[in-house]
Amino acid sequence: MKILVAVKEVASLDDDFEIRDDQLDVDEDFLLYELNEWDDFSLEEAMSIKERSDTEVEVVVVSVGPDRVEESLRKCLAKGADRAIRVWSDEMEGSDSITVGRILAAVAEQEKPDMIFAGVQSSDNADASTGIAIASYLNWPHTAVVAGLDYTPGANKATASRELEGGLGQEVEISCPAVLTIQLGINTPRYASLRGIKQAAAKPIDEVSLSDLGLSAEEVGADAAFSRVRRMYIPEKGMATMIEGTTAEQAAKLAQIIKEFKGEA
Amino acid sequence: MNEAQEITRILFQGFQTSSVYLFYVIGYTAIAIFLYGCYVQVRKYRRGQPDAAWGEFLARFWDMVKTMMTHRTIKRRDKAAGKAHAAIFFGFVLLFIGTATITLEYDILEPLFGITFWYGDFYLWFSLILDIAGVAAIAGLIYMMYRRKWLKLPKLDYTRPDREPGDPDYDRSAYRREDWAFLWVFIIILITGFLLEASRLIWLMEDPTVWEYRWWSPVGASIAHLFYGLGMGPEAAGDFRTGLWWFHGILALAFVALIPFTKVKHIFTASASLMFRDPMAGKRLPTVPEDQESIGVKTITDFTWKQLLNLDACTKCGRCHEACPANAVGAPLSPRDVILSLREFANNALEKKELPDEVELDVHGKDVGQVFMETLWSCRTCMACVEICPVAVEHVPIIVQMRRKLVDEGNMEPILQKTLQSVHKNGNSMGESKRKRARWTKELPFTIKDARKEPVDVMWFVGDYASFDPRNQVVTKSFAKLMKQAGVDFGLLYEAEMNAGNDIRRVGEEGLYEFLASNNISTLEQCEFNSIVTTDPHSFNTIRNEYPDFGGEFEIQHYTTVLKHLFEEGKLKIKKKLDYRVTFHDPCHLGRYNKGYDAPRELIEMIGCELVEMDRNRDNSFCCGAGGGRIWIPDPVGLEKPSENRIREAGAIDDLDVFIVSCPKDLTMFEDARKTAGFEDKFVVKELIELITECVEFDIEEPEDDDTAAA
Repeated sequence: MKILVAVKEVASLDDDFEIRDDQLDVDEDFLLYELNEWDDFSLEEAMSIKERSDTEVEVVVVSVGPDRVEESLRKCLAKGADRAIRVWSDEMEGSDSITVGRILAAVAEQEKPDMIFAGVQSSDNADASTGIAIASYLNWPHTAVVAGLDYTPGANKATASRELEGGLGQEVEISCPAVLTIQLGINTPRYASLRGIKQAAAKPIDEVSLSDLGLSAEEVGADAAFSRVRRMYIPEKGMATMIEGTTAEQAAKLAQIIKEFKGEA
Repeated sequence: MNEAQEITRILFQGFQTSSVYLFYVIGYTAIAIFLYGCYVQVRKYRRGQPDAAWGEFLARFWDMVKTMMTHRTIKRRDKAAGKAHAAIFFGFVLLFIGTATITLEYDILEPLFGITFWYGDFYLWFSLILDIAGVAAIAGLIYMMYRRKWLKLPKLDYTRPDREPGDPDYDRSAYRREDWAFLWVFIIILITGFLLEASRLIWLMEDPTVWEYRWWSPVGASIAHLFYGLGMGPEAAGDFRTGLWWFHGILALAFVALIPFTKVKHIFTASASLMFRDPMAGKRLPTVPEDQESIGVKTITDFTWKQLLNLDACTKCGRCHEACPANAVGAPLSPRDVILSLREFANNALEKKELPDEVELDVHGKDVGQVFMETLWSCRTCMACVEICPVAVEHVPIIVQMRRKLVDEGNMEPILQKTLQSVHKNGNSMGESKRKRARWTKELPFTIKDARKEPVDVMWFVGDYASFDPRNQVVTKSFAKLMKQAGVDFGLLYEAEMNAGNDIRRVGEEGLYEFLASNNISTLEQCEFNSIVTTDPHSFNTIRNEYPDFGGEFEIQHYTTVLKHLFEEGKLKIKKKLDYRVTFHDPCHLGRYNKGYDAPRELIEMIGCELVEMDRNRDNSFCCGAGGGRIWIPDPVGLEKPSENRIREAGAIDDLDVFIVSCPKDLTMFEDARKTAGFEDKFVVKELIELITECVEFDIEEPEDDDTAAA
């Protein structure tokens, strides 16, 4: 019995940052990397299934990315994942979310898990499509935005409650194996203590390359991507201004702005 | 005159041989039970982990003897109880030595070597001293009874803040019954001793070697006269004495036998605890060996033998209960109850012949004897409990060790998790970018040296709150100006400085602490400087006391000491004095942790303020509530915050102008508390640095606005 958890190391912005000269991304010097917040929840969901289960459950985390991704995988190992796989070849640079889905599907074909969890979306690119792309390449059933899950390892069906817009909920029965994308708040993720992360350094991280997966260079990377970034920019600031000063000064200034707006001043 | 040999006390006169044998059988049985009890206790302690406390044995022993002889720790903050205890203690010790002397002669020296000495002048002085000892012990016991019955001291109320009424271990009435049983048994033994003495005197009044010397036993003789006056003759006295003799003897022997099983064992456990006291307890928390798999305390056997001994040393005096800021505001923590819970747990689990299964040894949880997670998280590691404990129980390391396990298992407030993650990511607890750490320096009219790039005399370790918090930045900039004015050659680590880790360690996140400490140490080691200064007592404590364990040996001073020297050397001059009426709040990490009580007070005097102390000052200072990581965990709504409790204490001072602090976290906590507790128009909260800046003569006239100073 095995659960595969697809995770991503996302970039977050430092307070000040600059856009790269080619205007396609933020200058890497200003990026901080961390595990995608949604993935904390999907890993926790897998871990709690493992811990509650009477049968042996293996939790395997997988991520597509360069060396630095190891840090996030270690964090997952520190939280109790049994194994971690890092997939990378230079050819994969520039892959979009669908292409990453193709790579992860190839991993799944080798690992043969009984269930795949992914986060609903990543906090940096917010495509919300990787998980679904995996299901599509595997031709597995999938359900998205799972906010509650009832699943017994080895069962051929699972019940997921989904979060819909407008405060609606939906209960879905799904055949397994399946791909579920997990929503924030489904559980309370555990804390990976620094000591735990250090100790996890001893656990091996399997490194898998393009050829190991039987994929060709044409199937991955920027050229295979269905979408590409044309420009990254900071939108013009809006009209909002902070009015400073004492209450009286603020009121006076506000009155003046209103008058200007009405064309009276 | 009588022959000296004849002046002594009869022992078994008039006893049949069988009675003497019976007495010895009872006596040896009592000793056997006592020894067995000691064995069970020692076996219990040996089930704990090793502890390095055996070093410097003689020095420790001598220190313990001094503490016991002076009763220094018992007299603190409760003189009357201390004196009463001293009367009981010295009375008991003398009576014990007296009884042992008789045994020495009668059972050992005389039968083996024919040596006797218990007669004549020796006997008479012996008799007098033991009478005085008995009176002292009775007086002490009577005071203790009065204290328990009529003084209604809150610290002697055993009901627990961490349990609800109705919970099986809520009121601990068994302890109360034990207290009274102890007092009554002890006082009855003493009183019957005197009655025995009196009846012996009447019984043997015909014998001049007894009667003529009766006033050497003044209490016995007085009672004898009273009884004789009431009509008790020698024969009646003899009969009365026989019954009383057995009663007194059996009660006393039962008392001895029960020592290891009752609170009386504190005579051993408390002394041992004092002897194994760690002067660095709490100030320097224990490191975790690299290769150690688990961390912290999960089961009762994860404690060291010394900690298990600590549990038994507690005499429930309640001083920690009274001093604890968490307990004072109604949080579910009393240091006393943590210790007693664990003691009961240890007694249940570890006194058995076989060690129970590991699951039954888990000290965390909601069952009887287990310690609640909320209890552990309520602790502010202010050290008020460790400071005042008369028998050297070290609560804070025990609590932090238990928290380490909670952190390892992720049992903490989610908001605290976020802070810890952010500290790991950004190196500060404020959720700010690393790049922003030294941004406050940009508003200064001068540039501070970058100690990473050039050698400096003094390295200034700024700390998180002083670097990022806007209110504290005002103080930080003032301190920079003072250093500049004094001509100190100083520099900063700029962006390379990280949270010093003091509070992270006290939260129990040891791995993160190791990360922070080793990063700071390696950064500091790459710089050239002579000493470190900081305005943050928390950073001060960990760099001073804990970094050495990680190879970081640095000389560090808190700013109050540095400024004091700069004034003494004339490098800073007072331009004007302030006539404020002020009070001073000792920060835990400067005061109790590092005994820095005097420098801030001397500075306050130097600038002419009138210092009015709050009742709780110096070693009894009341924590602002920020310690132990509690600044990152919101206090429950509706409960008084420790900082508000403290501000109200200051509010009771008439015409107070300024509440002075000397710690960035204090400034944050008390600025808030002053508002929430409604003292906003009564007095202000200021960092000592701010007041000093008002008084110091600056070369460049200090204009109001910093920006114009640059022009």
